Amino acid sequence: MNNLRVFWNRYGLLIVAVLLLLVPQFTTQYEFYVVQRGVQNAMLVLGLVILIGYTGLMTLGSAALLATGAYTYGILLLRLGWPPLLGTIGAVLVTTLVGTLLGFPAFRLSGPFLVVTTVGFGEIVRILILNWEPLTRGPYGLSGFRAVMPTTRGVYYVMVVVLALLAVVTERIGRSRLGLAMKAVKEDEVAAEVMGVNVRRVKLISNALTAALAGLSGVFLASLTGYLNPDSFTANESTTYLLMVVMGGMSNVVGSVISSLFVTVLPEVLRFLAESRLLVYSLILLVYLRIYHVRSSKARAKSAGSRGRS
Amino acid sequence: MEMEKNSGVVLRTEGLTKRFGGLVAVNNLDLEVYEGQICALIGPNGSGKTTVLNLITGIYPVDDGRIEFCGEQINGLPSHAICWRGIARTFQNIRILGSQTVFDNALLGKGYGNGGAGVFQIMFDTAKHRRERAAFAEEVDEVLKFVGLDDVRSELARNLPYGRQRILEIARALVTRPKLLLLDEPAAGLNSAEIYTLMELIKKINATGISVFVIEHRMELVGELADWVFVLNYGSKIAEGTFEEIKENPAVIEAYLGKGRD
Repeated sequence: MNNLRVFWNRYGLLIVAVLLLLVPQFTTQYEFYVVQRGVQNAMLVLGLVILIGYTGLMTLGSAALLATGAYTYGILLLRLGWPPLLGTIGAVLVTTLVGTLLGFPAFRLSGPFLVVTTVGFGEIVRILILNWEPLTRGPYGLSGFRAVMPTTRGVYYVMVVVLALLAVVTERIGRSRLGLAMKAVKEDEVAAEVMGVNVRRVKLISNALTAALAGLSGVFLASLTGYLNPDSFTANESTTYLLMVVMGGMSNVVGSVISSLFVTVLPEVLRFLAESRLLVYSLILLVYLRIYHVRSSKARAKSAGSRGRS
Repeated sequence: MEMEKNSGVVLRTEGLTKRFGGLVAVNNLDLEVYEGQICALIGPNGSGKTTVLNLITGIYPVDDGRIEFCGEQINGLPSHAICWRGIARTFQNIRILGSQTVFDNALLGKGYGNGGAGVFQIMFDTAKHRRERAAFAEEVDEVLKFVGLDDVRSELARNLPYGRQRILEIARALVTRPKLLLLDEPAAGLNSAEIYTLMELIKKINATGISVFVIEHRMELVGELADWVFVLNYGSKIAEGTFEEIKENPAVIEAYLGKGRD
């Protein structure tokens, strides 16, 4: 059991990446599209691992950053005629800037106040997109821009490679002094600050990294669908992203990638259930969380008990 | 003593005042801690001792007066900047990261944002980042050895017995490479064997040239350690001197035991 865990910790990411690279060989076009969306979602969820899992800053505004990335990419290509690579860089930079700016008012907030702020931010962005018609074409949606790669398979392979690299980087941050500072901010902000952690800077970096990943995810979303509509960036989507990172184990990188794929694929697998689909979907997630939660709180109780004995 | 008054002062507060609403928690307090000294701050419960530490470390803003560290005014600086200048502290209620290892808890004393490898260097794991990592690990291991926690290096901090968690907090403070170490009731909740270990450790730390400023209730500890004692009551300094002088001071006895009825 222990050996298995060590093996998984070392090669888990590699195994997932190889499996993902093989997916196009075995799937229909529609199944392939769903997996693609899963990979694209996983990219955003890696950002939430940093923000929520490491630093402990809650957010329900991820869809807004995703939208910022996707729309910026589309607009840069359509209106300014930028090539896809430049558009990608531009979109990631703009999203990073927006996410970082959002970080400033959020510095002094925590808990429910922070969550409400991020929900508000999400709505503002969505309504802005809906009403800024000359730029975003509002409810008609934005389409007609090129994808980052000429073929769908090309986009997919690029996505998987990028996702694997990002996962390695996220893991690396988690193990570094920066990751330690993030976890300290999560557990005890005052103690972290007194120990020489510049808490504001750590929060700023977390926000910026998360926004960058969301922006990149948005670029790939735009490339996958070729059509953007404000309706695909509601608070509902943000909640799903939160679910993905929670199910993945909050600060577990490989776990979050797998849970992103799982949560994306599950509703499609359950399609044969017709009307009761969403009911079963929610039930499966609830049961999973219940088991997971009980197991991890038991583990906590166990280690607390061992302190009492020693 | 007079001659080194200016050169040897590590920490000086002048007219330090803090109010919480109508309550004056710290009132016009003057303190001086000299280089290489162990100073103690004593006083009855609620006399404002911890508030003084929170003011020095920038957790509370100062209402009046100033705090000088090595000749530089530090009140108004954020806590992390005060730490970087060389003031480290521990807390009355232990504040370590229970879910992290002993090593990582100590490593936290290296802080973040104080130069060193930046976020991109960490992301790409550059040579500079790897060098820094190795150097820090060596330094942290040295400190863990110094305080006697090297045998539990990879344990989760919450699995340590209470006394060793206190030692770990001191180790984390030492990793910041302080010139001045502030200890907030380090002996609280320890048994007599653990207190003995703690006293030896504080002496050993002081012998490396680090000044120590300790808040303490236990008189035997103060008597054993402190070169100089400040007594606080209702936020004001009522006496200062060596432990022998303080012991005989009528105002101090009154603050601790109440007025006799003679």
